[in-house]
Amino acid sequence: MEALSIRSMFQVSIMFYVIAAVISLVFIKKQRLCNTASNLICAAGSVFGMSASILKIFSEESLIAIHIFQSSIPFISADIKIDNLSAFFVLSLSILVFCVSLYSIGYISTYVGKRNVGLFNFLYSTFILSMFFVMTSGNAVFFLLAWEAMALISYFLVVYEGEYEENQAAGTLYIIMTHVGTVFLMIGLMLVFSHTKSFDIFGSSVGIPILAKNIIFILFLVGFGAKAGVIPLHIWLPYAHPAAPSNVSALMSGVMIKTAVYGIFRFIFFFLGAAHIWWGITIVILGVLSTVLGVAYAYIMSDMKKTLAYSSIENIGIIFIGLGVSFIALAQGNLMVGSLATVAALLHTFNHSLFKGSLFLGVGSIQYSTHTKNIEKLGGLIKKMPITALFVLGGAISISSIVPFNGFIGEWFVLQSLFANIVSGKAILNLLSIISAAALALAGALAIATFVKLYGISFLGLPRSEHALQAKEVPVIMNIGVGIPVVLCLIIGVFPMLLLRVADKVVFDLLGVSLFGQLKGGLMIVYHPLKIPGSVISPAAALIALTIIAVLAMLVIRVIGGKYIERRYGTWDCGFEALNSRMQYSGEAFSNPIKIVFRMLFRPSNELRAVGGSTYFPESLEYVTEFELIFEKYIYNPAVYLMQLFSNRAKVKIQAGSIHSYLIYIFVTLIVLMTYNRFA
Amino acid sequence: MQYAAYVLIQLLVIIMLAPLLDGIIRKIKAFSQKRTGIPLLQVYYDLLKLLRKTSVVSEESTWVYKIAPYIVFSTSIAAALLVPVTTKIMPGTLPGDIILLISILGLGRFFTMLAALDTASMFGGMGSSREAMVSILIEPSVLVSLFMVGLISKSTSLPQIMQAMKGIGAPLTYPVFVMIFLAFLIIIIAESSRIPVDDPSTHLELTMVHEAMMLEYSGRHLAIMELGAMIKQLVLITLLVNILIPHDQLIAVTGIGALVVSIFIYVAKVITVTIIIAIAEVCTVKLRFFSIPNLATLSFILLFLGFLQYFILGGSNV
Repeated sequence: MEALSIRSMFQVSIMFYVIAAVISLVFIKKQRLCNTASNLICAAGSVFGMSASILKIFSEESLIAIHIFQSSIPFISADIKIDNLSAFFVLSLSILVFCVSLYSIGYISTYVGKRNVGLFNFLYSTFILSMFFVMTSGNAVFFLLAWEAMALISYFLVVYEGEYEENQAAGTLYIIMTHVGTVFLMIGLMLVFSHTKSFDIFGSSVGIPILAKNIIFILFLVGFGAKAGVIPLHIWLPYAHPAAPSNVSALMSGVMIKTAVYGIFRFIFFFLGAAHIWWGITIVILGVLSTVLGVAYAYIMSDMKKTLAYSSIENIGIIFIGLGVSFIALAQGNLMVGSLATVAALLHTFNHSLFKGSLFLGVGSIQYSTHTKNIEKLGGLIKKMPITALFVLGGAISISSIVPFNGFIGEWFVLQSLFANIVSGKAILNLLSIISAAALALAGALAIATFVKLYGISFLGLPRSEHALQAKEVPVIMNIGVGIPVVLCLIIGVFPMLLLRVADKVVFDLLGVSLFGQLKGGLMIVYHPLKIPGSVISPAAALIALTIIAVLAMLVIRVIGGKYIERRYGTWDCGFEALNSRMQYSGEAFSNPIKIVFRMLFRPSNELRAVGGSTYFPESLEYVTEFELIFEKYIYNPAVYLMQLFSNRAKVKIQAGSIHSYLIYIFVTLIVLMTYNRFA
Repeated sequence: MQYAAYVLIQLLVIIMLAPLLDGIIRKIKAFSQKRTGIPLLQVYYDLLKLLRKTSVVSEESTWVYKIAPYIVFSTSIAAALLVPVTTKIMPGTLPGDIILLISILGLGRFFTMLAALDTASMFGGMGSSREAMVSILIEPSVLVSLFMVGLISKSTSLPQIMQAMKGIGAPLTYPVFVMIFLAFLIIIIAESSRIPVDDPSTHLELTMVHEAMMLEYSGRHLAIMELGAMIKQLVLITLLVNILIPHDQLIAVTGIGALVVSIFIYVAKVITVTIIIAIAEVCTVKLRFFSIPNLATLSFILLFLGFLQYFILGGSNV
């Protein structure tokens, strides 16, 4: 009975998304109605998805199966199978979809009358549906179909504002990279099939020999890594995410790249099993690379959405470090550390979708009211958009992994699992773990700096342009969309056990051990410690302590210093008496020291040009500063060059248009095949 | 009960002691320049005076500027509560560990840097940007050094670490702890804005880091910002002396007497380290800004060598 109702709730959720898609096409002429209706229906669908996945995780039922469509052809059927892992990811998807849908009601209304809003809503709801299917599909063929649909629909959404050339270029790069990934996945899944004769995702990998397993692992890692945007497969991400409208960026960054994390859990962790230590080491190294480089690039960007996109790479890196440590620990049979690291990866996946979602939406609000996402043109927005400013501040604190927000919880678990890994590990693993810990610390400090820059330059100080001066607060519905995830971030950050219980169920499903199984008592007790062997922390206690200290400090100061008297006066400008917005530090200047310190990585070049007038008295000065993206320049550009060279040669030499040579090719092929058949 | 006593002692000792360290450093600097210098307790008088003065607040600033001092101050105090000054009165566990400690200090830094940008002043941005660079460079050393002592004592919780260190007896006779000690000295200098990383007594725009961020503050806001920074410095020094130079194993007796003796020894240790820092400040000049990475790298390399010696080459077995 219970399982039946949960299943029907999932079905209702799917139905709602389908209805939303249909409605947006039916009412394509009535744009405003269509936008509101389809977004509200999506939000309603996500409420069902949310409650169904929570119920699923806490129910006794192990697997919920829904057959949408079945054919007599083997494996061509749309099977949905939801276990705790799927439910966990669906939960994360549904929460974000709820917020983004509410937000979109306001955000998309700017497009009304200018663009095809109905088409957008159709793409938006099918995009959600495709992600839902990726996370819940029960056989590999259906998985690949959903995966491909997700890639294509998100491509259309990326190029929705296709009149800008850079958006088209971003879309093209994205679709190429994602298809390269899909090819690897397809080969991997075919290899699996050739050994197990089954496309069942919940099947067993027992029959696969070691060598094939290793090859499949690499194929899957490249395939999912390209979608996750892990360095060095990240090059599409910093272009595609900024090109899409902000609500889509929130979904892409918050959930879509996590489908790759889901894939790694499902196909490598669950299906292949953590067989070798080197698998884990590879994943950790990729994670460390993404974490440090991702946030380093995020720091020096002036485009806010690019900053957020690079920061997604960083967070994927943190998730990968957690995942890799769990592989290492499980390959050695260390269930304790393994479960700790798995929890870390799951928590950070969930938390990242919340705070990155809210930040992308917040930046969307800025774009909505100022029409720019370049921080050099912003400033002083906190006075014009006080509510947005408050929520974005919450998101910024959270993503910098600072207490009392949830970013800290995931990072704490990752660091604790690294710590436990050193206590129990071998020499090479010790070295890897301590370097990862140092990298995480570096990335943490860089993240703080990145979001101080993003927030400080855009919201504080004086407006740097007319756009920022004219900014107005966005509609309430958009603020609600930005606010809900931030509030959730705070709640999870203060009461991490709420989320941990959910994640723990998933880990129990995966590994059969439970970190917090012995936990009893109410959910909302005030002193809410996180307890693992060797350490206890309580973010709630920390928050309470911070509040009490601040209040006490105010009282004591009141007693000593008497009544607070304040005098308003201009900011100190060295007696210049004409402070203006150009005297403030710019975003470029803010991050310049790090650009210089890490010049090996960024390879910055500066040029100062005199414009007009004589050499000694120029009319104005032009300062150009540039940096190199090393992966693009030294890996991808040469590869593209070689590819084009090869294609050109092939065009001239092989496919020259001569019938005679084509006949020769056919003849040679025939001979080769006949010879092969003779001997094989 | 024990918990309340612990909190009370922590607060009293740390808030009372923190400004004294600045007084000592200024006195030693004055002596080195053949001056008498200000009285040892002048820092306290200054703070009290500042608390009573009118605050001049920038017209451009917002609520971020006004709440930042309270957040910075309470993060420093919260950090102080996580680092026991004596093991003679100490709860078995604290609701926090080294990672939380770093994160709490991060919250303080986040708001210090934001507040500096809030006034639209060029100096604020300058200070904030420089602080970002220094903290980015030194942060790996902070985490790794605390991680290493944690690994050796098999816990990330500070009470447990301090208990384990008492068991070792004299940690500084082992090479790994000497490395950590030296690296942590560099960390203290960088994090509390001392020469050679930053010069706390100058307001020259070419050199200042922390002072540039404080430039707009005045009155009570300035007082609690400064006190917060002093407490943070003392917390770092406390970490150093109580982890690497444990002393409570020497006191055989228990009870109130032992507690008093223990706190006295603690204060003596802190003052000794302060004198070392003062001497370092007197003997060196401020580094060129872009030479700070070398100093940060030096501290990380020391830690890394220590790690190699202890965990990889088998120093733990000796």
